[in-house]
Amino acid sequence: MNPAKRSRRFRAWLALGLTALLAALLALQQRGAEPPPESFAGLGEQAEGYTQARPGASLRFPEDHGTHPDYRIEWWYLTANLVDGNGTPLGIQWTLFRQALAPPGDNDPERADSPWTSRQLWMAHAALSTPDDHFVAERFARGMTLPDRRGQAGVITEPFAAWLDHWRLESRVTDPAGDALDRLLVRAQGRDDGHDFGYRLALSAEGPLVLHGEAGFSQKSADGQGSFYYSQPFYRVEGQVEIDGETREVSGRAWLDREWSSQLLGPTQRGWDWFSLHLAGGAKLMAFRLRGGGEEGGDYVSGSWIDPDGRQTPLADDDLRLTPVTHSSVAGRQVPTRWRLRLPSQELDVTVSARHVDRWMDTAFPYWEGDVVVKGSHSGVGYLEMTGY
Amino acid sequence: MNAASQRTAFLALFSHYRRHPGQLAMLLVGLWVASALWSGVQAINASARDSYARAEALFSTGLDRIERRDGLPLTLDDYLSLRLAGAPVSPLVTGELELAGGSRLEVMGIDPLTLPEGSGFRTAGGTATLADFLQPPYRTRLAPDTLASLTEEDDTLPPLADGRQLPPLELAPELPPGVAVMDIAAALELLERDDLSRLLVAPEARLDLPQPLVRSAAENLAAPGQLTDSFHLNLTAMALLALVVGLLIVHAALSLTLEQRLGLMRTLRALGVSGRALVSLLLGELLMLGVLGAALGILSGVWLAQWLLPDVAASLQALYGERVGSELALPWHYWLGGLAVTLGGLLTAGLGTLWRAARLDVLGLGRAQAWRGQFLRQLRGMALAGGLLWLIAGGLLAWLERQPPAEGLTPGFVMIAAGLLGSALWLPPLLAMLLAALARLLRRRPLAQWALADLQLQLPRLSVAMMALLLALSANLGVGSMVGGFRLTFLEWLDQRLVADLYLRPPPARYEAAVDWLEARDEVATLLPRARAEATLLGSASSQRQPRPVNVYGVTPHPALTEHWPLLASQEDDASAWQAFARGAAMINEQLALATGLAPGQWLRLSSPTGPMELPIAAIYPDYGNPRGEVMLTAPHLSERFQTAPDSIGIVLDRQVAPGAIAALRRDLSQTLGIGGDSLIDQREIQRRSTEIFERTFAITRALNTLTLGVAGLALLSSLLAQTGQRRSQLAPLWALGVSRGPLVGASIAQLGGAALVTAALAVPLGLALTWCLVAVINVAAFGWRLPLHVFPGQIAATLGLAVGVALLAALLPAWRLWRTSPRTLLTEFDAL
Repeated sequence: MNPAKRSRRFRAWLALGLTALLAALLALQQRGAEPPPESFAGLGEQAEGYTQARPGASLRFPEDHGTHPDYRIEWWYLTANLVDGNGTPLGIQWTLFRQALAPPGDNDPERADSPWTSRQLWMAHAALSTPDDHFVAERFARGMTLPDRRGQAGVITEPFAAWLDHWRLESRVTDPAGDALDRLLVRAQGRDDGHDFGYRLALSAEGPLVLHGEAGFSQKSADGQGSFYYSQPFYRVEGQVEIDGETREVSGRAWLDREWSSQLLGPTQRGWDWFSLHLAGGAKLMAFRLRGGGEEGGDYVSGSWIDPDGRQTPLADDDLRLTPVTHSSVAGRQVPTRWRLRLPSQELDVTVSARHVDRWMDTAFPYWEGDVVVKGSHSGVGYLEMTGY
Repeated sequence: MNAASQRTAFLALFSHYRRHPGQLAMLLVGLWVASALWSGVQAINASARDSYARAEALFSTGLDRIERRDGLPLTLDDYLSLRLAGAPVSPLVTGELELAGGSRLEVMGIDPLTLPEGSGFRTAGGTATLADFLQPPYRTRLAPDTLASLTEEDDTLPPLADGRQLPPLELAPELPPGVAVMDIAAALELLERDDLSRLLVAPEARLDLPQPLVRSAAENLAAPGQLTDSFHLNLTAMALLALVVGLLIVHAALSLTLEQRLGLMRTLRALGVSGRALVSLLLGELLMLGVLGAALGILSGVWLAQWLLPDVAASLQALYGERVGSELALPWHYWLGGLAVTLGGLLTAGLGTLWRAARLDVLGLGRAQAWRGQFLRQLRGMALAGGLLWLIAGGLLAWLERQPPAEGLTPGFVMIAAGLLGSALWLPPLLAMLLAALARLLRRRPLAQWALADLQLQLPRLSVAMMALLLALSANLGVGSMVGGFRLTFLEWLDQRLVADLYLRPPPARYEAAVDWLEARDEVATLLPRARAEATLLGSASSQRQPRPVNVYGVTPHPALTEHWPLLASQEDDASAWQAFARGAAMINEQLALATGLAPGQWLRLSSPTGPMELPIAAIYPDYGNPRGEVMLTAPHLSERFQTAPDSIGIVLDRQVAPGAIAALRRDLSQTLGIGGDSLIDQREIQRRSTEIFERTFAITRALNTLTLGVAGLALLSSLLAQTGQRRSQLAPLWALGVSRGPLVGASIAQLGGAALVTAALAVPLGLALTWCLVAVINVAAFGWRLPLHVFPGQIAATLGLAVGVALLAALLPAWRLWRTSPRTLLTEFDAL
């Protein structure tokens, strides 16, 4: 078997196991008129034995910055829109995913003390976008609980650090009164198609944490599935990115998403389109559309309007309109790379366009993630993630 | 021509075989043996290649390995420190488990999450998800042939010897035989370990390793396929020889059947069968026989391969440490290939026949034995073609002499093939000349003169069988001398090299303690520590040489060792070479010298962890069986520059030591130092094992060799049997002239025995030339070192005797039939004339 074929097979294989990590990345093939409401790779199945995300719980910090092993899936998701000294726009992504392999209490191994015996799987993605290029790398690790040192991957809260190998997101906060996420340092180095890339960025929050949905419970489908979801969208960024040995000083804005759940999706949801936008004037907009799973089989649309001072207004599909305008052919698929977003309550009517249509993340489970430009009633920059195409 | 008449014509042509079933048998036998030997060897090669492909996919898809310099296992901390610093290393643990029933299973524990993408480990197949693989109860992945070797029942894994169970089974046909792959957590649990055997890393990954760790490049770990290529090429060459010999039989049979059917064919032509139809009928007949012969041959080939494969597998494992499944794994193209080669060979052999049939002269009645008249012309053609082949062989030899070693294996075999075929083609003209000369000499003895003239008449048909005999004999002699010489040289060399009585491999942590303890023992005369490392031979400014990886071997230049260690070349004499070596010079093995052109007196540059080193070369030493280049230093010198401790100690015992001393030493060693008995190896044990390897390896060569000789005997026998009927008509007049049957039978036997003797005598120089080609050309091309040429007169005499014996045996049956022929039958021959 040739290496390419081998690699393809491995990818398919791994993808099955890691599907849930990427939540709504479902390419549920539409076979015939009515796809049966079946779960795909366990994503929508009843997550027996795990704690379910339910409205009414209150989030506590710094504990909730850390892991929630009783929930099946979780992520720490950072994106940044940057410019270098010449004004060239750059984008970075740093993501750490966790997935439980078995519910707590299940499968206690005979030698529970072996550090290699793990119930947690970790996956990290790092990406760097320039106007012409898109560099992507991914790494995997098994969770290890070690008494006196860090495992290959994990998240701790005192002091806050999330890492997989040498890809790290760490708190620089020394004042115990401040939130651990207020000042962060993020770094990653990877290699993609013969090019070395990396970044080392200092993040300083200029606003509070924002809890989405209902005090942090974000509903994801009409029948009540959902997740805990909060963000820190107010980062100022200073640092360096490096491409093939050439270092550039950069600055800009970043957005951190934290989300965990045991059953994120309804059974028929195919994928999502997710926006995080920094608007001129300091307001932020988070908006997403889950394809399928809405009322009467329609799309489920939701979001948050965030004032410059951090006040959050939940948005629903009676107000928020997300419309694909232009589709582009990316990696053999038709992906909407230009959108119209309307939010009449904020008098917002903008076009959101990808800076470059090919921001394909050719990872074990592929998706589209890239920097976007906002034009129209408001201007700004941001990130768009699209899955399940 | 309609279908009915076509059928009639075909039946008329084919009815020839009903009257001459011997010819049909001879044709089929030729096809059968040619195809059987060829398919058998190809089946072995295909199976071995399948095993290598699987092993390569798992072990050497270019993954470098990282180990500790001191040989200790790696810890979880070593691994995590590297990962957290960004090094894309992946852990691997390997070990052996004993199963209930006593069989042993090699277990590899992997971490699929960190293995470099595209590496074979990662894909070690199966249908269960990653989640199943990664968590209890885990999965055991192994190949179906491994499972079959472990258990009688299907689909159930036997428990371990201590009663524990392996994780649930998952079949993965792409895994190499004898290996089970599972998650590292499961493997550590079963092996009751918590450390790592080594780390793996993609070759393109750049790493800064801490000092205690050392990386071995994937390219230094030769792929199994490369190592064993020459072995399989040897087998293929033998099979090709068998194919040629078999096809010679076919050619002889075809010529005979055609010649005898010439009259029939003319009749058919005269009755209105077109020339084209006749040729297509003959072609159809050929194809039918070909398919039948090939089917028979392939089936027996598979059977032959099954019979030989365990030996082949054992040799390959012993020689190269490669596992080859002991069950045949044959891809579909194997079957087609066997059929194609047989049919192709048959058509080549039958082409001349078809050509003559197509150009058949309808009016040429009465010239039934037409082509005998052309024999003289044929002889000239043969001599010409043979000369041409000799020219090709000579040219190739001249070209090969200028090639770097370890290259030109295929041209080497082509050269041998051309030489052998050229010689075979020269045989009939030579025999004809000899007969003519003898006939002049024996003018006064009528019966002898008749016998010679008669032999000349028989020559066209006999010559093919004699050619087959010549080929088989010279191959037998050549390969036999090579094998014998190889064995002699290797064993002698082993004897010289293994000077110590015992070899101890103490765990690195207890090395010092072991040395102290051994030095205090009375029965120990001398200790000879040995060390190993890897380095890169750097090019120098003056040469265009590319850097190449080499092994570095550290020995102790004690007289006990240096007095026995053979040297091939040194600057002055051996003693001063060893003195220079003890002062810090290097010695290199023959492989490296041949590959680089380095010679004693020159300097070499080596990379080392303490910086590049420049060393003068004191001598070149033979290093049989080693596929790689090697540089030898003193053990202390190596330890200092490569920062690695000696890995084993040779122990020379006092001469007056009691017979039970080795057992006592072994016992004390394990009691006082806790060093297991396995770490102490008796030199005699190594010798025994090496000899065993050799006997096994060459058992296959010998088996094939004997089979080839058998085929040649068969060729002789069948061509004689096929013409018994004709012989009778030639002998009948003599009998009528008053020569009794006794002298007639004697003359027949003498004719054949003489021809066989001449052929065998020619085979001797040819066999010696072949031996020289094998040891001086093929061996250098295949392994990078030269073997001394050994000649075994006893073996030559035995082969000669065997050849004449075979010929006489072949002559005996026709002679016996002639003896039994009643005078009445002999008389009727005249009616037929």
